[in-house]
Amino acid sequence: MSNLLRFLSPLAPDDSGVCGVLYELGGITVICDAGGCAGNVCGFDEPRWHEKQSALFSAGLRDMDAILGRDELLISKLAKITEQVSAEFTAIVGTPVPAVIATDYTALKRMAERKTGLPCITVETDGTRGYDFGERLAYARIFREFAAESYPVRTGKIGVLGATPLNTGLTRAETLIAKLKQKGWQDVVCFGLDSGLDEIRRASEYEQLLVIAPSGLKAAEYLHEKFGTPFAVGYPCLPDDVTAQAQALSGKRVLIIHEQFAANALRNIVTNCTADCATWFMQDTRYTQDGDFRITGEEQLREAASRYDVIVADRMLRRAVRGFSGEWIDFPHYAVSGSAEWL
Amino acid sequence: MNAYSITAKELAARGFENLPEELSSAKHMIYSSPATLDYNSPGAKGFGVKRAGLAIPGSVMLLVAPGCCGRNTALLNELGYSERFFYLLLDDTDIVTGRYLKKIPQACAELLEECDTPPSAVVICITCVDALLGTDMERVCRACEDKTGVATIPAYMYALTREKRLPPMAMVRQSVYSLLKPQKRVSTACNLLGFFSPLEDGCELYALLKSAGIKTVGEIGRCKTFAEYESLSKANFNLVLNAEARYAAQDMQERLGIPFIELTRLYRLNKIRNQYRLLGQAIGANLDDIAAYQSALETVERFRERYGALRIAVGECLNADSFELALALTEYGFAVPEIYGTVGERNFVFIKKLAEVSPDTRIYSNLSPTMLNYRCECALDAVIGNDAMYYHKDVRGIGFQEEAQPFGYRGVELLFTQLDAALQEVSA
Repeated sequence: MSNLLRFLSPLAPDDSGVCGVLYELGGITVICDAGGCAGNVCGFDEPRWHEKQSALFSAGLRDMDAILGRDELLISKLAKITEQVSAEFTAIVGTPVPAVIATDYTALKRMAERKTGLPCITVETDGTRGYDFGERLAYARIFREFAAESYPVRTGKIGVLGATPLNTGLTRAETLIAKLKQKGWQDVVCFGLDSGLDEIRRASEYEQLLVIAPSGLKAAEYLHEKFGTPFAVGYPCLPDDVTAQAQALSGKRVLIIHEQFAANALRNIVTNCTADCATWFMQDTRYTQDGDFRITGEEQLREAASRYDVIVADRMLRRAVRGFSGEWIDFPHYAVSGSAEWL
Repeated sequence: MNAYSITAKELAARGFENLPEELSSAKHMIYSSPATLDYNSPGAKGFGVKRAGLAIPGSVMLLVAPGCCGRNTALLNELGYSERFFYLLLDDTDIVTGRYLKKIPQACAELLEECDTPPSAVVICITCVDALLGTDMERVCRACEDKTGVATIPAYMYALTREKRLPPMAMVRQSVYSLLKPQKRVSTACNLLGFFSPLEDGCELYALLKSAGIKTVGEIGRCKTFAEYESLSKANFNLVLNAEARYAAQDMQERLGIPFIELTRLYRLNKIRNQYRLLGQAIGANLDDIAAYQSALETVERFRERYGALRIAVGECLNADSFELALALTEYGFAVPEIYGTVGERNFVFIKKLAEVSPDTRIYSNLSPTMLNYRCECALDAVIGNDAMYYHKDVRGIGFQEEAQPFGYRGVELLFTQLDAALQEVSA
């Protein structure tokens, strides 16, 4: 049974991905749940929760709210918060509860905008998919909503898409900014990480976009189509210790497991080995090589592991490949273990 | 807008029927304050439904839910639960059709293959999805038992019903005792119900019960084996130390014939004394608690003499009722300028009394969105509770939320001893 996890805990879900993208953008984000989903997001998947304040709330749904579909109550609670907390927009994030009762998000958006006078973004996640699915939806919605105006392009300015703690483990943008400045960029902005809604609004002025996770591709393609902004993919923030251990490998069959672009970036420096990349999350075929694969369950991973001498992956995954006798290099992925010990 | 608060006097004057909206979580969005995550994130810390469901020795849990519901369970791996959790992940078609229900027996069979020794029970934890689908979990559990031959029980992690008559934490208490079978009762045995971890070893309740002829005091948190767990049904009576265990006690009374007596965790010495007197009357014994009472009283007085009339803020992430503890502190001669708590019908009686002795105490709701704007506007010398410590990082204090449960006079002693140590630590 591929959807039975015997050894691993569930990976970061789609609603966590949405919240991670919106976290620093200055909106009021409401998770449409009874409380547990919001607790999971704030208490586990969002390492910024204890260091950067954000207006992220649970709708506090009760059974009769869900059974009777009390959308008006939800919107009146939302309107009440807009009187208590200043915000530039509101966002409603889906969970299993609205999925079961088939909530009409388009109606919620209209009702919220009419009641609060603020733009509203709704994201119809249901807690069953990976965080990257939620990130992709959130990036796409936020840029479509706010990146409307054309500004003159500023040479030397680059914007990074996908820089969320769930992808990188980073809660601040310094590391990414420093790496890209070393490469000659003068002005580096990580959308949603140490930057707010103004940078989203001014998305058209960027000379280039760098997409560091597949979840940012859709938004990058939209910005390319709308403003002609070129984009590239890459991952400039590989942890130094992982890089050093990977570079020291020679003549081995290596499996790298992470989000696709991080894994690809590491493969580029493992030059004396045959390396394949795998991921539990999105895999864009434009950026795969022969031998790469998407992991669909613990059993498949266990079987695949037997074909390699070295696995470079988050240490939590080791539990799923108990029989593996090769070398293991820890390559932390916050969306897998929820650990940022390496930072 | 500043964080919403109301004085004890104003709140008591309004009455429980007329609570301000900011103190009623059903009337506003809920702020998952960093100070209160253990409240709002079942299973994240302490004993939420998931961890509590595994209180039965040797049991394993199958969480049947979308991935988002089990995400934070990784935290419990650090506490040694990694071999006991299994997950049947639901996809979007599952949650609207309920088709996964037919897969649960097979999932149980497959997880048993991974267990080195057969578990004593499989606890199937279900979530809001099943609350809405109206799943008949008893029937699913019977199907699992037929398939595997292992006892299977449900645990309902229904966050949607948190404010109902039977909230999830009351239901799970009933679940974890549901495998007990009737057997011959022993007149010298009793159980303590209410907590998933045992009382702190030094609690005088053990000695008082012994003095009344009770030779065996059963607690689920002390059961190392399933056989020890099974022996809980030999008890002559149950002492319920937490009202959330009342439903479990009623169920045990009905199924096993074990009557129960309810006690409350209190921090006012005279009330503790009165409670023990009533307990003695109920079980037909004269409980001599004078030594424990005196010891606790001396601890309080020594602390009061050493530090004077400290100003102490009280939170709700702690082993006490925030309002009863605040009332106790006030009666001992301390000032309580602020309380961060959840007002309920049960503790409103303490608020009324607090209004008489400390009318200006300000009451905040941790769950109010306005707590995003909380700024301390009063002088404090100490804080109690992990949430209070979060709000006042620069003030000395204690979390007072250890797993070993404080109770009775011993609870009072632990409180002031820990507070004393925290204050001395800083002054040193």
